[in-house]
Amino acid sequence: MKYETLIGEVPGTIEIDGSHFRYRRADGQAIEGDVSLAGLEPGCYSVLIGGRSFRLTAGSLDVQVFDPRDLRGRKAGGASQGRQEVTAPMPGKVVRVLATVGDAVESGQGLVVVEAMKMQNEIKSRKPGRVVEVRTRPDAAVVAGEVLLVVE
Amino acid sequence: MFGKVLVANRGEIALRLIRGLKDIGIRSVAVYSDADRASLAVSMADEAAYLGASAASESYLCSEKILEAAKRHQAEAIHPGYGFLSENANFAAATREAGLVFIGPPAEAIRKMGSKTTARQVAIAAGAPVVPGTQERIQSIEQARETARKLGYPVLLKAAAGGGGKGMRAVDREEDLAGAWRDASSEALRAFGSDEVYLEKMVLEPRHIEIQILGDHHGNLIHLGERECSIQRRHQKVIEECPSPVMLANPELRSRMGEAAVKIARSAGYANAGTMEFLVDRDLNFYFLEMNTRLQVEHPVTELVTGLDLVEWQLRIASGERLTLKQEDVRWSGSAIECRIYAEDPENQFLPSPGTITYLHEPAGPGVRLDSGIYAGWNVPVEYDPLLAKLIAWAPSRERALGRLDRALAEYAIGGIRNNIAFFRDVLADEAFRSGVFSTAFLDGFFERRPAAKVDLEAEAAAALVAARGLGRASLSRDSQKSAWLTAGLERNLR
Repeated sequence: MKYETLIGEVPGTIEIDGSHFRYRRADGQAIEGDVSLAGLEPGCYSVLIGGRSFRLTAGSLDVQVFDPRDLRGRKAGGASQGRQEVTAPMPGKVVRVLATVGDAVESGQGLVVVEAMKMQNEIKSRKPGRVVEVRTRPDAAVVAGEVLLVVE
Repeated sequence: MFGKVLVANRGEIALRLIRGLKDIGIRSVAVYSDADRASLAVSMADEAAYLGASAASESYLCSEKILEAAKRHQAEAIHPGYGFLSENANFAAATREAGLVFIGPPAEAIRKMGSKTTARQVAIAAGAPVVPGTQERIQSIEQARETARKLGYPVLLKAAAGGGGKGMRAVDREEDLAGAWRDASSEALRAFGSDEVYLEKMVLEPRHIEIQILGDHHGNLIHLGERECSIQRRHQKVIEECPSPVMLANPELRSRMGEAAVKIARSAGYANAGTMEFLVDRDLNFYFLEMNTRLQVEHPVTELVTGLDLVEWQLRIASGERLTLKQEDVRWSGSAIECRIYAEDPENQFLPSPGTITYLHEPAGPGVRLDSGIYAGWNVPVEYDPLLAKLIAWAPSRERALGRLDRALAEYAIGGIRNNIAFFRDVLADEAFRSGVFSTAFLDGFFERRPAAKVDLEAEAAAALVAARGLGRASLSRDSQKSAWLTAGLERNLR
C-alpha cells in the first residue's frame, strides 16, 4: 500500500509492505526499514523503527494520510483564492464584532473578539479585502472552526 | 481541629485541598457548577454541593450559595483556594459572620493588603523598600524633570488608571521626558479615559521573586523563603522554582528579603499563609510590589524544599493552633521547579484550547509531584482558567532537578487538546534558563531565538505509519483521514 502524507507542512509518501516501509519526503530525504507497531491502550501506540522506540499518542499534531486511489483525493492546500473565511480558533463566546458588512479591512486587522478561559482573543484578518458576510453576533457561543465572518 | 471543611474552588487546587484534608482525617465538601459535575474533585471529596450554572458568577463567585452549602453540609470552615473568592475581604467577613471559619487571613488584613496603593503604604511604614516614585500626578514638565532627576534615569512613566503596558513609557534621558509624557498621557486618555500619569524609577532587568510567609493568630510570624517566578507569559507565571538561582549565589539575600516580608506582614496584622511579591534588579536591590493574601498556585515548590505541608499549617492556624515552628527550624533542602501545564497553544500566541482530553499519560517516578485535576475523557470547560495541572520536580541540585523535570515532561502526554508540555522542554533546553541568569523579559523573542528543529525522519515515519494504520481500517471511500499523532519529541521536531 502506498499513501500520500502531509506532516506539519511537508508532503511525502509512505509505502507499507507487511513490516517493511519506505518513507520519502518531497524534499528528497528518505528512509526505509522494518517497523514493529504495538497498540497499547486506546489512543496510544508503541513504534520501533531502526532500533529506536517511539511512544505515539493521539494529540495535537496533524499527520494527514491520503489514499491516492481515492478519486475525491485530497483537497487543494491553502485557503481558496481571494475568499477568506474567518473562523474561531477555539470554542468560546463572542465578546465584540469589530467589522460590519461592506467594511474594507487590512491584513492583520482585528475582526472579532472571542473570549475563552477568561482571556479575550482578537481574531484578525489574514489578508486585505472587504467584509461580505458577518455570521456571528456579540454573546454568541461558538465552536472551534466555526465561520464568524467572510472577507473577499 | 475542624471535623469538616468546605473547599470553595475547582480544578487542581480543589483536589490538592481535598487531599490535604484527607491526609489529616478531616471530612471534605466539594462544590461544583454544571460544567464540573464530572470533575475529579467532586468524585474524590467526601461530600459535594451543587452551586449553579457554569458561569463563575453563578457558582464559584457566588458567596451566598457557598455559605449556604457550607451550612447545609455542616462544615465548620471554608478554604477558598486561590482566585475566585480567596482575596475577597467581604467574603471572609461574611464567612465569619455566618459563624464559620475562613481559612486565610483576617478580613481586615485582606482589605489592607489587597489594594496596591494601601499595601505600598503599609510596606513603606514597615520600612521595606518599594520601587521609588511619586504615585502623584505629574502637573508640569518642570515638576516631572525635578522628580526624574531625584529618582535617577532611566525612569518609567505610568498611567494611574493603567494596566497591560498601556500609557507606559520608559525614558532614558531628560531630553526625551517631555515627549514621552505627552505620548503616555494621550495613550492613557484613550485607553482608560484619564490622562493622569506618574513617575517611577525603572527597575532594570527585573526578576520577580516572592517570599512565602506563615503566621498564627498569636503574633508568631516566619518566612519560608523565596520562589523565583520570572518566567512569565501575558504577565502570568509559567515556571517557578526554589531556590531562586540568585539566592544560590547570594544566600544572605533570602534572609534580608524574608525579614522585610515578615515586617510588612506584621504591620498589616497578617495571619495564615501569604506571599509578598518583590522585584529584584540586576544589582540585587529588591522592591516590594504587592501581596497575595492566600495560598499561591506555586506553593508546592516551597513544600518540596522545606518539607512543610502549607495546607496543613493553614488549617492548624485557622483552628487557632500556635505556629510551633520557629524561623531557625526552617531548612531549605535541594531544588524544586514547577511547570504550569495549561490548555493552550504556545505555537499560536498561547491561545486557549478547551475541549475533551482523549488520552492521558501522567509522569511518575523519583522526585516527581503532579498536582492535577484532569483525566482521560474529562472535558476541559471553556468558562474557567486554562490551568490543567502543575508538574513539579525535586532533586538535590538545580541541575538534577532540571534533568528530572525534562524527563517527566517527556513522559507526560495529554491528547485531544493543545497544551504547553513541549514548550516547557524548549524552555528547559534554553541556555539562559539553564544558567539561571534571566529576567521577566525571558520569553520576549523566545520563539525567534529558539534553535530550528532538526528533521527526524524516523519519528515522521512512525507518525505516518500509525496514521496509515488508522486509514487502512477506515472505508476507502473516505476522502482523507486526518489523524493527529505525535510524541512529545516529535511535536517539537515538526513544529
